[in-house]
Amino acid sequence: MSLFWRIFSLNAAVLTVAALVLLFAPVTVSATARLAEALIILAGTAVTLVANAVMLRVGLSPLARLTRVMTTIDLLRPGTRLVARGQGEIAQLITAFNAMLDRLETERASSAGRALSAQEAERHRIAQELHDEIGQTLTAVLLDLKRVAKASPDPVRDQLLQVQESTRNSLDEIRRIARRLRPGVLDELGLASALRALAGEFTTAGLAVRRQVHSDLPVLPKEVELVLYRVAQESLTNAARHSAAQHVDLVLSEQNDGGVRLCVRDDGRGLRGAPEGAGIRGMRERALLIGADLSVESGVTGGTSVQLSVPA
Amino acid sequence: MIRILLADDHALVRRGVRLILDSEPDLEVIGEAADGSEALALAAADPPDLAVLDIAMPRMTGLQAARELSRSHPDLRILILTMYDNEQFFFEALRVGAAGYVLKSAADRDLVEACHAAMRDEPFLYPGAETALIREYLERARTGADIPDRAVTEREEEVLKLVAEGHSTKDIAELLYISVKTVERHRSNILAKLGLKDRQELTRYAIRAGLIEP
Ligand SMILES: Nc1ncnc2c1ncn2[C@@H]1O[C@H](COP(=O)(O)OP(=O)(O)OP(=O)(O)O)[C@@H](O)[C@H]1O
Ligand SMILES: [Mg+2]
Repeated sequence: MSLFWRIFSLNAAVLTVAALVLLFAPVTVSATARLAEALIILAGTAVTLVANAVMLRVGLSPLARLTRVMTTIDLLRPGTRLVARGQGEIAQLITAFNAMLDRLETERASSAGRALSAQEAERHRIAQELHDEIGQTLTAVLLDLKRVAKASPDPVRDQLLQVQESTRNSLDEIRRIARRLRPGVLDELGLASALRALAGEFTTAGLAVRRQVHSDLPVLPKEVELVLYRVAQESLTNAARHSAAQHVDLVLSEQNDGGVRLCVRDDGRGLRGAPEGAGIRGMRERALLIGADLSVESGVTGGTSVQLSVPA
Repeated sequence: MIRILLADDHALVRRGVRLILDSEPDLEVIGEAADGSEALALAAADPPDLAVLDIAMPRMTGLQAARELSRSHPDLRILILTMYDNEQFFFEALRVGAAGYVLKSAADRDLVEACHAAMRDEPFLYPGAETALIREYLERARTGADIPDRAVTEREEEVLKLVAEGHSTKDIAELLYISVKTVERHRSNILAKLGLKDRQELTRYAIRAGLIEP
């Protein structure tokens, strides 16, 4: 039954009952209504209105549920759907809404995927050029400087040594930038080595990164390795920047179903209700991309843990 | 005279390295290759004493070439010369049979010394690898795993801890009010005591510690 007819028939039922009561109840209304008569009529009207209100509420309740879902929907946590209960148009509305969510989520996932892979490809290219072009040229300059310095008279040699040092520093800087853009280890030696190296990079006097990377991991596709690496990188960045923790544990292990699971847990101050920023949203996007499940949580005792479960 | 084969895909870098090495009285570059497979061919035609290989090269990387070379020419010493400062590459290099690892940004300073160390069959450690090894050592000492135990002095112990925390040699010198030279001496003593100055022993240690796979 359509919403129109449903509401119409509810109203009709209430009015019909009222009319029948008027026709067959042993009551009359004087030309100028007496107090008792007026009270009865008012009470009758009130009953009619209440009955009408209750029926409408029942009739429209699926719409209220739909509204609640619509206001809380988050495309970064896909999968929230309403059961198409209710009749006629309401069920249709819910089904149409669910279909729209499906389309939005697919479209969003694929455009986010395109954006992310374009970004990664660009980073890769820039890192490579820094490495292969500027890096190599500066290396050659460094070697030439050494030779020239050796053949120069003393005062010039000291100056050349300084030039050598600043060339070395910019070469180191270029290498650091290239590595942050795209870690060469990941491409050449694989995820386990890249995560070991990452743990080393984040270890400082105040923060110890303990890593446990199981060596018998299943072979993972390149894009899955990249997502695992980037999530570990952002989690460690957050731990170093926000947590004031002393220890971070980085664990990569195989799950029973053949998937893998990454866990980065610190013993710091916890999220304390901080809103999610670009970093955590970025991790969610990447997780979505490979159909993995991401959770970022703080325990009651403090500390934050990021878990990424990649299905087999 | 030590005869050296050089492999790097950048002609400018090859030229620079060659000029540096040739200017040493006991070193001589006998061949230049632009990638790993060319290096294999050159080594087969005229076996050198030492091969200096870049990692990132087209067709066949330096690590792949090192693996092949140490299989086909067991007496050949191998040195990796690379842009990558990452201890994982160092351990991988060790695993495929290289004796040393020199960063391109330190090539002007370290290359000649590394060539000599390689010919003595001593590992030439690059600083990041040293830190990683020392960190691993402390972690294993803490958890009571088997480690080469040779008496480490108190001062060396202090230096060990600071190295593991990622301080540079210069930082450590300032923190402990000693000279950079002294810190360097401590570091090299420590490495010798931990048995990390011997290539075979170092490789065995790295495998035991799970830093590389056998
Ligand atoms: N390990 C952590 N310990 C404590 N607080 C954290 C931790 N990780 C995240 N937070 C809190 O969550 C907030 C959001 O983190 P998110 O990574 O999304 O953004 P951000 O780190 O502030 O910025 P960026 O976009 O550069 O990553 C942080 O500002 C911080 O307050
Ligand atoms: Mg962040």
